[in-house]
Amino acid sequence: MSPALIEARGLAKTYRLGQVDVLALRGVDADVAAGEFIAITGPSGSGKSTLMHILGCLDSPTSGSYRLDGEDVSSLSGKRLAHVRNRKVGFVFQTFNLMPRLTVEENVALPLKYRGGVPRAERRARALRLLERLGLDQRIGHRPDELSGGERQRVAIARALVGEPAILMADEPTGNLDSAAGAEVLSTFAELHAAGHTIVLVTHDPGVAARAERVIQMSDGRVV
Amino acid sequence: MNLLEALLTGLDEARRHWGQTVLSLLGLVLGTGSIVTVLALFGGQTALTEQFLNEVGGRGTIIVSDRERSAHPSARELASKRLTFRDAQYLRDRAGALQAVSPGWAHELPYRAGNTSFEGQVIGTVPDYMAINDIKPLVGRYLSDLDVRHQARVAVLGWKFADSLFGAATVALGKVVSIGGKSYRVVGVMEREEFYFAAWEDNALEYRNERAYIPISTAIAQHSATDNLDFLTLKAKPAMGGAAAQAQVRSLLFARHGVEDFDIRASGQGAGADSGQFLLLFNFIFLVVGIVSLITGGIVIANILLASVVERVREFGTRMALGATAGAIFAHVLAEVLVVTVIGGLLGLGLGTALTGVVAHFMQMPAVVSPFIATVSLTTALSVGLVAGLFPAFRAARLAPVEALRYA
Repeated sequence: MSPALIEARGLAKTYRLGQVDVLALRGVDADVAAGEFIAITGPSGSGKSTLMHILGCLDSPTSGSYRLDGEDVSSLSGKRLAHVRNRKVGFVFQTFNLMPRLTVEENVALPLKYRGGVPRAERRARALRLLERLGLDQRIGHRPDELSGGERQRVAIARALVGEPAILMADEPTGNLDSAAGAEVLSTFAELHAAGHTIVLVTHDPGVAARAERVIQMSDGRVV
Repeated sequence: MNLLEALLTGLDEARRHWGQTVLSLLGLVLGTGSIVTVLALFGGQTALTEQFLNEVGGRGTIIVSDRERSAHPSARELASKRLTFRDAQYLRDRAGALQAVSPGWAHELPYRAGNTSFEGQVIGTVPDYMAINDIKPLVGRYLSDLDVRHQARVAVLGWKFADSLFGAATVALGKVVSIGGKSYRVVGVMEREEFYFAAWEDNALEYRNERAYIPISTAIAQHSATDNLDFLTLKAKPAMGGAAAQAQVRSLLFARHGVEDFDIRASGQGAGADSGQFLLLFNFIFLVVGIVSLITGGIVIANILLASVVERVREFGTRMALGATAGAIFAHVLAEVLVVTVIGGLLGLGLGTALTGVVAHFMQMPAVVSPFIATVSLTTALSVGLVAGLFPAFRAARLAPVEALRYA
């Protein structure tokens, strides 16, 4: 088996909502090997998004340990976490989250800008290469609002990949798309998987989950 | 991502939505504009006062006058001879800060010529007085040393009095006028003097057109029981400050009198006080409007950037997910504020300059937007922007990525 990219043990997350503590995660173990395509699924409120946020270093667990690509990230500072997010994780959001005022090319190059030390010409070249690979090379100068939903999501996937992350994470990537565009995006994920990328995808749609190699089924803050 | 790059990113952002940026600037523009206008008008007024001081003999002209005796005078006060010719001579000899000393006498006396008569001011003085006050005869001549030595019965009339007594200033020359019951030959008529602090104000120098000058020796011999003077007109050396000269005169006169029974003031002091007061109110209103607009502008900017706008918060969340550090977000927001503020400040400066032109034109007042005013107003705008921008920048930077992404 390939080396473990994600090794999470006993992850728990408690939110304070007014006077009540909400247990979003109640001790979750997760292992993802390099090259896997995994779907985390479950009803809303099951903790699947919380789990993905923690795995993606957008949030820290209340307790438990988490190693990402061999590094213990469960107790890193904000700045170190930003660094980890920038280099190890590529995010794809349900609502695309593109910068409306930037062009497609600028959107895709943004993570490299935050990385620092990557010359402008190289940022551009890497963005263009990815856009070409995803069939968006006719769109580089457009603004996001000039694109279709499916195109926007593929731009977002290009942005997530530009930093050559260890893992690609997607939160309901087809949730805001019609079925044709959704299918298109899913086949993009399938191609990326075939090319060796590690993908973790959160969805409540069984049809989408079925495309993955392995499904982590969540319910009530636990893996079932 | 270094700070410079973050600043450039913020700059770029502000450029890309400049339409929205400019709209959000309105308060800042109006505020800066008002402040520019106030400062320009105020500056114009100051320049006008300076000009007036030059009209009345320049900053170095000092007037010493007798102080009113106190109700219960001390022995020293009673012993003092008040202002005299000897004081004038003493100052001429000892006061190194002065270049000219002119003794003066002033009374209200009846004037009469033909059927016209009225009460008016008479100044007894010496030829130096003309040089000190920078006044010139329109026709004829001014008083001479000879007039003073011989107690000549000659008078030099102010323009207005010559006009009132003889129908026209120029025909007065050589005529005889009765002043205080004595006959004087008119040997000169002074130029008409005018100065207006504002279009709606009266001539601030009219008092100089309503008087006659006679030799001081004649004045004391014909119209006075004592040889006391009423004032001394002094001129400080250009190299000396008026204040230094005043101090020297004060200590010399105090040594002679043994008591401070005299007042020393700069010529033209308190001039234009009325128009000054009106302008002060005017400036005050403008200043308040300016400050209020600036604060409003600051609040608007703060509000727009306060990340209370859902779209922006999610955007920051996304940027953090892509690897932006808190520092990068902070610099980003701050850069946007700075760009917005600089643009607002510059637009405000333009507006203020235009407004100054309009106000100066309609109120007929001098007002100029100097580089100093431009600097001050831009600095003010920038400070407001910084203060308004710091808080939102801090707040945006402190957001947890997952909270920012979920923000609704």
